[in-house]
Amino acid sequence: MLRFTLRRLALMPLLLWGIVTIAFFLSRSVSSNPLVTIVGERNLGNPDVVAAATRRWGLDKSLPEQYWVYLSNLLHGDLGTSFRTKSPVLDDLGTRLPATLELAFFALLIAVVLGTVGGVVAARTQGRAADGVLRVAALAGSSLPVFWVGLVFLFVFYATLGIAPSPGRLSARVIPPPDVTGFYTVDSLLAGDWPLFVDAFKHLVMPAFIMSLALLGTVIRLVRSQMLEEQGADYVRTARAKGMSRGQVLNKHVLKNAITPVVTLIGVSVGLLIMGAVLIETIFSWNGIGTYAVESSRGLDFPAITGVCLVGGVIFLVGNLLTDIAYATIDPRVRLS
Amino acid sequence: MSSVRPSGRFRSRRGARRAGAALLAVTALAACSSTGPATTDRTGIIIGRAMDVNSLDISRSLCDTCQIYNSAVYETLVRATPDGELDPLLAESWEANEDSTQFTFTLDPDAVFSDGSPVEAKDVAWSWLRLQNLQGLPSYFMQGITGVEAPDERTVVVTSAAPNSAFLNIASASYMGIVNSDVAAENGATADADAASSDSAEQWFQANSAGSGQYVLDSYAEGSQIVLNANDAYWGEEPNFSSVTIKEVTDASAQLQQLQQGDIDLAMQISFDALDQIESDDSLTSDVVPSYNFLYLALSPGVAGGEALQDVRVRNAIRMGIDYDSVIDATLAGNGERQSTGIPNGFEGSDDLPIPDFDPDGAKALLAEAGYPDGLTLDATYPTFSAYGVSSNTEMQSIQQSLAQAGITLNLSPVDFSTWGDAIGTTGYPVTAIYFAPDHPDTIQYFQYFSLIDGSVWAGRARMPVNPEENTLVAQALAQSGDERTATYAQLGQLMYDDAIILPIVNPKYILASSASLQGNNYDITRNLDLTRLSFAD
Repeated sequence: MLRFTLRRLALMPLLLWGIVTIAFFLSRSVSSNPLVTIVGERNLGNPDVVAAATRRWGLDKSLPEQYWVYLSNLLHGDLGTSFRTKSPVLDDLGTRLPATLELAFFALLIAVVLGTVGGVVAARTQGRAADGVLRVAALAGSSLPVFWVGLVFLFVFYATLGIAPSPGRLSARVIPPPDVTGFYTVDSLLAGDWPLFVDAFKHLVMPAFIMSLALLGTVIRLVRSQMLEEQGADYVRTARAKGMSRGQVLNKHVLKNAITPVVTLIGVSVGLLIMGAVLIETIFSWNGIGTYAVESSRGLDFPAITGVCLVGGVIFLVGNLLTDIAYATIDPRVRLS
Repeated sequence: MSSVRPSGRFRSRRGARRAGAALLAVTALAACSSTGPATTDRTGIIIGRAMDVNSLDISRSLCDTCQIYNSAVYETLVRATPDGELDPLLAESWEANEDSTQFTFTLDPDAVFSDGSPVEAKDVAWSWLRLQNLQGLPSYFMQGITGVEAPDERTVVVTSAAPNSAFLNIASASYMGIVNSDVAAENGATADADAASSDSAEQWFQANSAGSGQYVLDSYAEGSQIVLNANDAYWGEEPNFSSVTIKEVTDASAQLQQLQQGDIDLAMQISFDALDQIESDDSLTSDVVPSYNFLYLALSPGVAGGEALQDVRVRNAIRMGIDYDSVIDATLAGNGERQSTGIPNGFEGSDDLPIPDFDPDGAKALLAEAGYPDGLTLDATYPTFSAYGVSSNTEMQSIQQSLAQAGITLNLSPVDFSTWGDAIGTTGYPVTAIYFAPDHPDTIQYFQYFSLIDGSVWAGRARMPVNPEENTLVAQALAQSGDERTATYAQLGQLMYDDAIILPIVNPKYILASSASLQGNNYDITRNLDLTRLSFAD
């Protein structure tokens, strides 16, 4: 496994170079002009302002020259400066990414824990009311559009009932914790500030739950079907014949085998959750990488677009690698090569 | 052979129970915790708005939110009052020479920056020269200025190449605020002639401020919020808030929800369909006021596809074929005004200008007279936007419907803003739609942008020849003052109306919505929101 991991890690720079190259040229191939967002509508006809902006942002260079400069800077850890925020893209990503990772981590936790429990319960109550309810809930979770659920939840629990906190990572007027990890829940605990942790946690619950819904529904259905399939396997009959109770067999053996495909699903979903967070982030005023990606695309902010693609690539590649390793660890029959 | 290992199972179950109990405990404690986290002082105000910040460097910024920020953190030499007069701010007095080519300001000796150092004439000269030399977005405020000198610590002398009686009004624009030159220069700023390439201070300005205003920048998280704290060293009247937070709330309905729940104190982009809800809520207060913003249709006779528009009768027929009231109903639930030409209602020179009326029969007759008895087809390409409560798609669809009654078929092509911007200065569009908001209280900005004079943005975009009479009148107005200038502005306004290049569609009203505990909510020409007039009720 070590050789496999090292080989995959060694291949990563090549793959990331490919991602950066595609993102670089694709974003610049659109017919629109980033100068519109840089200089604004009023200054488009002002040649001095347009020329100064073109020079400042390196848009006066040929595309190959721009590409060469970008790659050279990238090798020194410089992802360029955002046209829009005027900050180094690396700083922007460093600020935005933890917010999205925190949200995605909790969404994943909710999906895996509730999904596995739901799937097991559905399998064990097959054909009964609980199974029916869980199957409908799973279907609804997978099919309802996230933006609609988000708006409805906000309207009901925040605007009408007043029991959910406001959109955002913290309540109004609350001072954020000192920045250590960028995860407000972790940083508040590191600062020993329990009330702040509570506030951050409360703000996480609703967006994380809604973000988890699609994956939660899939996990419930996957665990349920795998459990039912495994229940008919020979080893289950053998274990039962040896005197193990049904519950012991399910929890000890069936669940372990049934959960293996969930690991693969999680691996694929981590990247999708993080890079697809834009709707939730917009609805819940969550200043993460999803909204950054969209705003950058709308403004043709080339350095930011390429930076987001690079981060997305790293997340997907690392996610897939970790999935393969986890898969082999859980199921010894799998040999990585 | 048995895989059943009771002790292991026991450990596993105990571990699972512990983990489950811990998770439950965290959730329960979090849910039940009654102690609140540390908060900022309740005397701080939170403003919700869809932020459009392009920069917090005052000499590079150009946006509505920038106007609020710049005027809170920096100060101008003069300030425009709500009734269009100029009051002293950093300058205690000022005068212009006879032909309005030289302006002399005397600074208030008490004025100090947030670090306690005095505001000196050298800071003014440095700030304005940097604004000019950066060739940034707001550099056009310094157009025509040939010199800014500081003969002594309290005197600033500004020289203009040509008469420019509008300069005092322009000096009240928030972008003309004064920066502490020593502090800024230490952090990479320069006012030298090569500032456009050598100034490296923008990033510093994104996290720091160096002004003399009531507030200082505490933090800026792009896409999230700007936090300002009261300037402890402020030299004038004490600020009304200990802190000002401008929070990013992009959606109008989210602004309403957060206002109702008390999470923001003031919402800046409430839509008119929410007005009833605000009015029926005792904890909120609202007012509908006129604004100086407007949305307009622009006709470009000189671009491909716009040949029919070269006949002014066709352009007038389009103006007559628009059912303004229906468009205003569709876009703003009736909360807007019709406007004559590219000068908003209420600006100097706009009083007696003709207001367009919907007259489809008149439009048809004009078209027939111009050689189009069977009507006319035009392509309209416009950027998709929502500005001042108006969606460009709704606006254009409504215009399309009313023009059809006059025999004019408008083919609509909504495009992305970047695509629109790329083409508008090159190939151009025969018909397009966009919006405008003022920077300062002088009408001259509208002639410089919309009329057919040398250097006007729309004269170029419309590919129309310069009108020598308009050129002369603009130069004449800049050398005049008082009633004489008002009369010239009115004359220019009539000429712009007759050109029929810029057809204003609606001058939207504006909703001032806030918590009932807040008083003095306002709409301000140069500041967008004047924080000095806002305060919590006792």
